[in-house]
Amino acid sequence: MSGYEIVFEDVSKFYGEVLGVNRVNLNVPPGITSLVGPNGSGKTTLMNLMCGLIHPDRGAISVRGLSPRDPEHMMRITGYATQFDAAPRWATGFDFVTTALLLFGYSRKEAERKAWKAIEQVNLTDAATRKVAGYSKGMRQRIRLAQAIAHDPQVLVLDEPLNGLDPLVRAETIALFRQFAAEGRHVILSSHVLQEVDVISDQVILIANGMIVAEGEIRGVRDEISEHPSQFIIRCRDASRIASLLFNEEHVTEVRLNDDRLGLLVLTRNREEFSRALSRIALAGHDIDGVIPADENVDALYEYLIGGAR
Amino acid sequence: MAVYKRGYQRYQGPVTGHYTRLMAMPRYAWERLFQQRLMIVLTAVSCLWPLLCAVFIYISNHSELWAGLGGGLKKMLAIDAAFFLVYMNVQSAFCILLAALAGPGLIAPDLSNNALPLYFSRPLSRLDYVAARMMTLIGMLSLVTWLPGLILFGMQIGMANSGWFAAHWHYGAGLIAGFFIWILIVSMVALASSAYVKWRLIAGALILGFFFVLAGAARMINGIFRVEWGSVINPAMAAYTVWCALLGKEIPEGMDISTSLLCLGGLIAALGLILERKLRPVEVIS
Amino acid sequence: MTTRFRARQAWTIATLEMRRAFFSKRAFWVYLLAFFPAFIFIGHGVSLQWQIKRFNARGKVAPAIIDSFKPGMTEREIIALAGNPQSDHEYTRRQREDDDEDESTGKRVIVEKTLHIRFLEYWDGNRRSYLRFENGVLKSARTRNPFDFQEDRSVYAGVFQLFYLRLAIFFGCLGIFMNLFRGEMLDKTLHFWFLAPARREVLLVGKYLAGLTASSVIFTSGALLSFFAVLWPHSGMEVQAFWQGPGVEHMLRYALAAALGCVGYGSVFLAAGLLLRNPIIPAAVLLVWEGINGFLPDILQKLSVLYYLQSLCPVPAPLESDTPALLKLILAPAAPASPWLAVPGLLVVTVLVLWAAAQAVKRLEINYSTE
Repeated sequence: MSGYEIVFEDVSKFYGEVLGVNRVNLNVPPGITSLVGPNGSGKTTLMNLMCGLIHPDRGAISVRGLSPRDPEHMMRITGYATQFDAAPRWATGFDFVTTALLLFGYSRKEAERKAWKAIEQVNLTDAATRKVAGYSKGMRQRIRLAQAIAHDPQVLVLDEPLNGLDPLVRAETIALFRQFAAEGRHVILSSHVLQEVDVISDQVILIANGMIVAEGEIRGVRDEISEHPSQFIIRCRDASRIASLLFNEEHVTEVRLNDDRLGLLVLTRNREEFSRALSRIALAGHDIDGVIPADENVDALYEYLIGGAR
Repeated sequence: MAVYKRGYQRYQGPVTGHYTRLMAMPRYAWERLFQQRLMIVLTAVSCLWPLLCAVFIYISNHSELWAGLGGGLKKMLAIDAAFFLVYMNVQSAFCILLAALAGPGLIAPDLSNNALPLYFSRPLSRLDYVAARMMTLIGMLSLVTWLPGLILFGMQIGMANSGWFAAHWHYGAGLIAGFFIWILIVSMVALASSAYVKWRLIAGALILGFFFVLAGAARMINGIFRVEWGSVINPAMAAYTVWCALLGKEIPEGMDISTSLLCLGGLIAALGLILERKLRPVEVIS
Repeated sequence: MTTRFRARQAWTIATLEMRRAFFSKRAFWVYLLAFFPAFIFIGHGVSLQWQIKRFNARGKVAPAIIDSFKPGMTEREIIALAGNPQSDHEYTRRQREDDDEDESTGKRVIVEKTLHIRFLEYWDGNRRSYLRFENGVLKSARTRNPFDFQEDRSVYAGVFQLFYLRLAIFFGCLGIFMNLFRGEMLDKTLHFWFLAPARREVLLVGKYLAGLTASSVIFTSGALLSFFAVLWPHSGMEVQAFWQGPGVEHMLRYALAAALGCVGYGSVFLAAGLLLRNPIIPAAVLLVWEGINGFLPDILQKLSVLYYLQSLCPVPAPLESDTPALLKLILAPAAPASPWLAVPGLLVVTVLVLWAAAQAVKRLEINYSTE
């Protein structure tokens, strides 16, 4: 197992008779990885397994070479912001973060310094001395994030981290994730907001019914889906003519003209043939302003790979 | 045109009656309770003593089985108030154990999951809710208290001579009334504990502690002050005094019947007050 | 990671948890259980002094008169002999009794009696005599010195063993120790601890230390406060003689028994909270087991926490005066264990239970939805 990857080897987890995840094999490199799947698909189970909150019934997990059954070492390099929306009744936001740091062996002074730094990073300084129990949902989300990043972890696991955050904080949080990933760390997050996943992620893991449906870079995953034709939007002045030319190509399955007659949507079974055909049309003197892939995003992948499972 | 005028039509078919709706809650609660193995085991164990009592009644009414044995034994085998009091004492202890197991799950989860607003947004008042929850306990505790007691009483009527019922009908009446008082107290304690602490586990401990600790504290007060009035804080003692009065047995020293009834009434009122304060349709965000 | 680092982690966890154990709202009930006997003893001391003042103000009778009260005397004879009593109250009750079957009719004969009961109380400056009359005839006379030091120490022994050890520490530890893990699962906050860079065993030790410190401080203080409250109303000479004699040893033994009670019951409830989803019935079984301890054969008596704790108590608990003679025979306690056996025995059992708890906590998974 690599010392810089998160590895799942044939991991299964059952809750009694209910399937959690089944025969999961994963190699997650550093960077931002998003877990995408419908409710109950096993995203949280994967995260909990990774952080040792639950144990696999079979298989093995390694987080940068460390076992989740050894929290003493593994949690030193890992921070996990769970989806459990509870916090100790007694704690203020500052206490909540400091307490966790004391268990790392930091002196109180150092723990407090690090706690303030983390609280500043999530923009919660004003509310830090208030009880967590009185926080709003978004504030509780941020204080959990502060606790997860306070010890400067190499692996950051975040369950629905953008839920309940306002747009400004959302942007700041995404920037924080990017900064972590740029430093060669792992940022693993689950999200339902597919547009955001699209923008943030270096790679995605699609999961449905406890099984991994696809993993890798979004473009790579899309390339591997052969049963769904690729979609392209072409912006051009002579849409009707180009449509008729494309329709003669064998690999093109569908062409739809825009209402304004200045663009068209093309569905093709062969991306390379389509590319060659488009070159020919351009060389024949037809003006083409732009070509944009219409389904190289998580939304489309989700629809193709998981849509049927919903 | 307003949307509701186009699409919405209120259900206008027949609806079930108020009491039928009320009984839906205990029905589901019983089903859930008896899915627990521990509950079935405890209920079965609770029925062992009534079985032994039935054997005792059989032996007592078949003098040929013990003919020739001394008069002392004859007195010991008599089916009298003392017999029914012993029966009631043993079964009342099982009542507490069953309530400690079943009671906490009745209200505490609704409170900790903020489910009360859901109940009260239906045609269900707070009183209905408490009544429905109490019905669950009354039904369950009846299985191990007055129902087998009544069977024992019936057995004795059938086996004894014809004049026995006329002379001792008050045993049956006392048994039913006594157990109803006890079931009411145990159920109220269980519901109030469940509403008070929200945690099923601690509510169970509170139900046990309520009866055991109060009994211990009463004995402690009596021991330290060398008095008998300490028993007023022991609901089990107060109930026992009432049972003695109902069955026509001599009342134990330290408590008289009016004091006992007053204690039990005060206790029920206090527990009712707790329920009234705790069962409010508000959502607690913490 | 060194053992020293782990010990420091455990202590950090303990200090964080102690705050919760000592100062949470739920701790109020634990304090009430621990200090209730002390309040009652203090109340008893205050009421005694007030009563003595009142008795002295109302007048005394000669000690010889009190000695002359004999069952069978009538109310009139007593009042003529001793004068007006300190207190006088009476009531009437009906008593219904089943008698034997009437041979001729086969019916049971029911006898109904009316009893007129009266209580009179006299005081000779040192002793109170409490007389009970039934239908005008003296049935019983209880004469006792309200400042009987020996009796008070015996009452304290009874309260300590029958209420304090069997109920207060039992339920107090149940509340404190089950709260440590099972409580956090119910609050859905246990995962915060599991996400710390600490071994689960270290977490268990830290939490146990917190519970033990809180329960020991609370219950030992309660036991000692009660102990001093028992001594308080007695004369200086008696108390001084007690302190010069076995006083300090008695005090330390009670404190040790209370602390060891927390050690033993604490470990059991901590383990029960980890091993069982609903530990209430096992707790009830343990309560009944410890409660019937005195009825069990010698060998079974030794299988209870209470046996070892009672072995540490310097004064045996008195049996209730109304305990039937036959029961008194059965209730004869097993020979107490020597403190040199009781203390290590209890500690060994505690270590074994904690080891089982450590195995459970290592396997424990966060799955709040099943709680």
